[in-house]
Amino acid sequence: MAELHPYPPHETWHDAVSLDAKAWPRRVENHHTLVPTTCFNCEAACGLVCHVNHATGRIDRIEGNPLHPASRGRNCAKGPATLNQIDDHERILHPLRRVGERGSGQWAPVSWDEALDNIGDRIRAAIAEGRHDEVMYHVGRPGEDGFAERVLQCWGVDGHNSHTNVCSSNARVGYQSWMGHDRPSADFANAEVIFLISSHLESGHYFNPHAQRIIEAQSKGATVICVDPRLSNTGSKADYWLPAWPGTEPFLLLAIARLLVLNDTWERDFVRRWTNWEVYLRERHPHRPVAFDSVGPALADDYAAYTPEEAERVCGVPADQIVEIARIIGAHPTKFASHNWRAAAAGNLGGWQTARCLFFLNVLTGSVGTVGGTTGNGWNKYKAPHPPGAPAFEQWNELSWPQEYPLAHHEMSILLPHFLAEGRGRLEVYFSRVYNPVWTNPDGFSWLEALKDQDKVACHVALTPTWSETAAFADYVLPMGVGAERHDVASFETHAGRWIGFRQPVLRRYAEIRGDAVSHESRTHEFNPGEVWEENEFWIELSWRIDPDGSMGIRRWFESSERPGTPMSVDEYYGAMFAGVPGLAEDAEAADQTPLEYMRDRGAYALEGDMYLPYERDVDSAELDGCHLDAAGVYRRSGTPGTWLGTAEDLAGLELADLGDGSPAVQVDGQPKEGFPTPSRKLELYSQTLADWGWPEYATPTWIPSHVHWEELDLSGDERILLPTFRIPTLIHTRSGNSKWLSEISHRHPLWIHPSDAEALGIEVDGLVRITTRIGHFVIGAWRTEGIRPGVVAASHHMGRWRLDPQNGGSWAGGDVDITNDGTQWRLSRRGRPERHASADDDTERIWWSDTGVHQNLTFCVQPDPVSGMQCWHQRVRVTPAQPGDAYGDVVVDTAEAAKAYRDWLAKTRPAPGPGGLRRPLWYSRPLKPTPAAYAL
Amino acid sequence: MTRLGFLLDSESCIGCHACTVACKAEHDVPLGVNRTWVKYIETGTFPDVGRHFSVMRCNHCDDAPCISICPTNALFRADNGVVDFDDDNCIGCKGCMNACPYDAIYINPATNTANKCNFCNHRIEQGLEPSCVVVCPTHAIKVADLDDPDDAATQIIARSETAVRAPEQNTRPKVHYLGADAASLDPLGSAIAADGMIWADTTAQHPSADPASDGVEARTAYTTAHEMTWKAKVSSYLVTKAVAAGVMMVAALLVLLGHGSEQAAVGVVPPVVAGAFLALTGVLLVGDLKRPERFYYLITRGNRRSWLVKGAAVLGAFAAVSAAWFVAGVVGSVGALQGLAAPAALLGLATAGYTALLFAQCEGRDLWQSPLVLPTLLAQAVAAGGATYAVMELAMDGPDAVAVQWVLLAGVLATAVFVAAELLGRGTPHVEAAVAAMARGRYARQFWIGGVVLGLLVPAVLVAVSLAADSGPVPAAVAGICAVVGMWFYEDSFVRAGQSVPLS
Repeated sequence: MAELHPYPPHETWHDAVSLDAKAWPRRVENHHTLVPTTCFNCEAACGLVCHVNHATGRIDRIEGNPLHPASRGRNCAKGPATLNQIDDHERILHPLRRVGERGSGQWAPVSWDEALDNIGDRIRAAIAEGRHDEVMYHVGRPGEDGFAERVLQCWGVDGHNSHTNVCSSNARVGYQSWMGHDRPSADFANAEVIFLISSHLESGHYFNPHAQRIIEAQSKGATVICVDPRLSNTGSKADYWLPAWPGTEPFLLLAIARLLVLNDTWERDFVRRWTNWEVYLRERHPHRPVAFDSVGPALADDYAAYTPEEAERVCGVPADQIVEIARIIGAHPTKFASHNWRAAAAGNLGGWQTARCLFFLNVLTGSVGTVGGTTGNGWNKYKAPHPPGAPAFEQWNELSWPQEYPLAHHEMSILLPHFLAEGRGRLEVYFSRVYNPVWTNPDGFSWLEALKDQDKVACHVALTPTWSETAAFADYVLPMGVGAERHDVASFETHAGRWIGFRQPVLRRYAEIRGDAVSHESRTHEFNPGEVWEENEFWIELSWRIDPDGSMGIRRWFESSERPGTPMSVDEYYGAMFAGVPGLAEDAEAADQTPLEYMRDRGAYALEGDMYLPYERDVDSAELDGCHLDAAGVYRRSGTPGTWLGTAEDLAGLELADLGDGSPAVQVDGQPKEGFPTPSRKLELYSQTLADWGWPEYATPTWIPSHVHWEELDLSGDERILLPTFRIPTLIHTRSGNSKWLSEISHRHPLWIHPSDAEALGIEVDGLVRITTRIGHFVIGAWRTEGIRPGVVAASHHMGRWRLDPQNGGSWAGGDVDITNDGTQWRLSRRGRPERHASADDDTERIWWSDTGVHQNLTFCVQPDPVSGMQCWHQRVRVTPAQPGDAYGDVVVDTAEAAKAYRDWLAKTRPAPGPGGLRRPLWYSRPLKPTPAAYAL
Repeated sequence: MTRLGFLLDSESCIGCHACTVACKAEHDVPLGVNRTWVKYIETGTFPDVGRHFSVMRCNHCDDAPCISICPTNALFRADNGVVDFDDDNCIGCKGCMNACPYDAIYINPATNTANKCNFCNHRIEQGLEPSCVVVCPTHAIKVADLDDPDDAATQIIARSETAVRAPEQNTRPKVHYLGADAASLDPLGSAIAADGMIWADTTAQHPSADPASDGVEARTAYTTAHEMTWKAKVSSYLVTKAVAAGVMMVAALLVLLGHGSEQAAVGVVPPVVAGAFLALTGVLLVGDLKRPERFYYLITRGNRRSWLVKGAAVLGAFAAVSAAWFVAGVVGSVGALQGLAAPAALLGLATAGYTALLFAQCEGRDLWQSPLVLPTLLAQAVAAGGATYAVMELAMDGPDAVAVQWVLLAGVLATAVFVAAELLGRGTPHVEAAVAAMARGRYARQFWIGGVVLGLLVPAVLVAVSLAADSGPVPAAVAGICAVVGMWFYEDSFVRAGQSVPLS
């Protein structure tokens, strides 16, 4: 047989001939242009190639991009399903302005011009009047690296708010406390032991690229270990599935760490060279000599209580299994790849210690930055340079960065409605973008109360391609492009390598290839369906409306340098960006293209070289000019946070680094080495920052009993632990609701419950269950499974989408609901489910399912971890059979209780100021770092 | 030669459903139907629990029952060994869906034609891998050229312990599974539990074994719907042609018994009745096609291996003989009737019985493959013939009412014997699951009350009483009506139960 290929050769992409699948076996030829872009469904940013039909000018199908270094031409279900999102017959095609009450579903068409003018006027007035903090851009999945942040920086507004603290704050604190980088980058493909506390074979950061490499390693003999209280698909593929009690994961990990030390299967020399063990000994073991030989006994002492037997009791994982796993890990030094992102970290109070304790195993096995180990994301991610923007501003927005959470990663977004209710501030313009807090965040009714109140939020602008529960409460709904209709550049630490991916509006590029006029005056919305804009051009245009005459100093950052006096085009923007990517210009020249053309034709670029052992890089003396060597062996540079004396006077002049404290190197065995972007430039076994900022007891890897720790629960009664947030491979939060192919595969999320629990709690097979949380309850169906730890119940978070107005999309995944309230008592009840109906898409006549799930998150109070600010998602609940009158999908919540819960959790914090009177450590990462002076309280 | 198959590596499969969606995109597959999907099963008890994935699709069998049964050559063998199809030929008879032992074929609601995985042969033609192969994150789907010993996937198949689905059907499937859990490949090895599946609704179109039945070792956590295809129209057609065949067979018997001169009761009325019921049969058959306007493709594009085509020929020949009989009856030619008696009887038997051979081509329906199907159909035709005559006796004075009643009784009793044998006999797990559905499960009420009591017991008793007491034509006529109506209930339960067994 002739060899088969996955894709047509790249040189044919501008006119690829294929045979029509439907006409076959008749040979009907189609001509397509293949335009690469980037998937916008999850965070992995896999490559896509859109097949644009020459005869129709439409995208016929979407496949992977073989030139993408991370996804390598392969995709998960969500990649090809992007086509549904483009063709979605219910998508928003024209800008809308609210005409009735907020949430009433009454809208009128509005021109982009009018919307831009109105929003621009509001922002201009806020900035001019010094109300900078009243402008907020709240983003879920950014899908890009730095464009929007640059916009805010140029406006001088500390208005960035993110989804991070419903997602990854805990894991970030755990990783940053070790290595400065706040994300792990595992070299799964070359690992011999893979330890997952996340479900990377179906979700995780980063599902498809990671799954490829995990399975690749497993097929070469790697041992895969997965910790998860429920049997995820990942757990089912793992060689060891360890269903530890939720929140006891750090205990399990410390038990393994102890065994590595006791078995003497730890990489002593690595730990000696690359951890701050001296500080650890001095702070924790002052009576021991500060000599490396003390470290083993000290660790053995510290973790003496973490025996396999005690771990079995606390975690519910058999002691002999723990011993066996420790033996396996110990037998594979430097080849231990681990990852924790959401999962246990995101679920538990103190969950950040899950990441910290997991990475402890990397440190002990010397598997940091090695082939087959885990490194910091900063080394496997490449941030392409944006055009120059404004210098740091002096704002500090306390609505996002409150004093109570000095170490938060990042903004305290879940608390925004409570802060507004307390009168900590108000918002003039609130942009929600790829973000659906009413639905996604805990305590959605408090969000709803805030968003309905025009005194708190004067103007809510929803930037969205599709209807969402949050957009229903906006003043302007402005349609933005989906993955194939916009420009973005992104890079993620998917594997041992660095790359950038380019998302582009496919039909715009297609027009360009076809020779249609696409000039600097062209705008993407001219090629997109309806009046769908892309955000890049929206921000540029809006910035001009804010500062039409340039007098505010904003416009200049959005002005073409090639054609002064006109707005910068996206071609100019990305042309400049790509010109600055190492190696790209040369490769483009070899292909006889500009860097921008090169990227438009390929969609992705792999930077040369690997980044193994980056911290071992010898730093030559020229880089150390003007530095001094401190007592700990760190080369300190004056004018950086590393040499700050802690006084207000010399704060102003400091130069902040994105990561770390600006110290360039550390001396290891007499050699200056690059080290890690931590204050010690080493891996911090003892985190001085955590100690200095109020948490000395957590400065070393520690187990913090969770807010749902099983020993505190009345398990003999009806208390159980609810795991309300797990992803399934086909869906992505609320962004995949407009994909019929994905909704068809997955549309229900029954409550996983072990049969023994169901029997004990009197819950019938397939019976309705009432789950009572601190602030309310919801009613869901039971699903008995052996794939969950008894004592724990779980339901995926994707389902339970709703709509107040049947016009607002949701044919595949939404249910019609009524929302009523009596003061702070809120009730959501379902009145309809997806029904067959006629529409522009024949498939609406073929909808065969009726379940769309239950909106759980409404019933969860905010539970911010006092250190990281992470919403601790796991819930302590009562699980009972439904009561008379309960109906499937019912949600009842008291927002007064939610406010009380907020205050209880707030009371757990240890607020700023920290050392030097600061709001936050200067070396900590932060989107839009302001001037050092802004850090002073 | 090239002989393409798939190697599906369940060891690498992560159950992500990318193949399902890529396939939907490549072929614009509507909601509700699938060319490929990923089945999930769960095994064991906490904490020793497993979830296993297996990709389900057409097996591109070397001995493909769908090709054999397809009456219009819409399904065909491509040069590269793939079982491909041509929408332009399909009349929507759904025979292929019952012939396939793998649940691989569906009716596309947009075209009303039968579709399935065709290996993306339009891509293969261009040197491109099937879209499921391209998208798979873990390379769990591999193309194998089974005739090329140097092919990497073929070598894995040769070296490793692989499995195929339903090997007992002897279809020589070309989809090989590596590392698949045996229960996931056995449609009766797992079942959908009462509380449904992991993240999709369960509907009446999701066939499943009974979770409590023997052989169920696992829970089906995810699979797709497979709608039953042959329903009331097919059950009805079995009865209408039994009546047509039976009445002519009894007429032939009466001719042989020397009643050829009875012009009305032997010469004219039977062919008229047979003609009417044959017409009804034709209406039902054409009406059951998803593309009825293409019914003539049976002739113009006919596949002579298909018993749908051969059956049409049998029906045609029987109609012709019946017409000739009618002419002979009208002109009163006893000699002609005597000459037609044997052909009429034989074609009556063929008309009644050929469906057994059609059912035998339905490799996916083991119940229908029973050797008892042919004798049952023939016995039913005898009963139907006797029944029809018994009813005719109400309106006219037939030549030998007693013989007619004996025919009815004999047909009913013979049917009863064969049905009993079917119930009591042992068969494959598939057959036993189907018999269980018929006798104890979803179809038990219509089978016992309709098929057995109304169709067998009541007529037997009435005819016996009638014969013993000489109570006039009414009891026998009532018995005849009961027998025919009951026959429908029996056939309907048989037809549906045969399709109720999950195949995937």
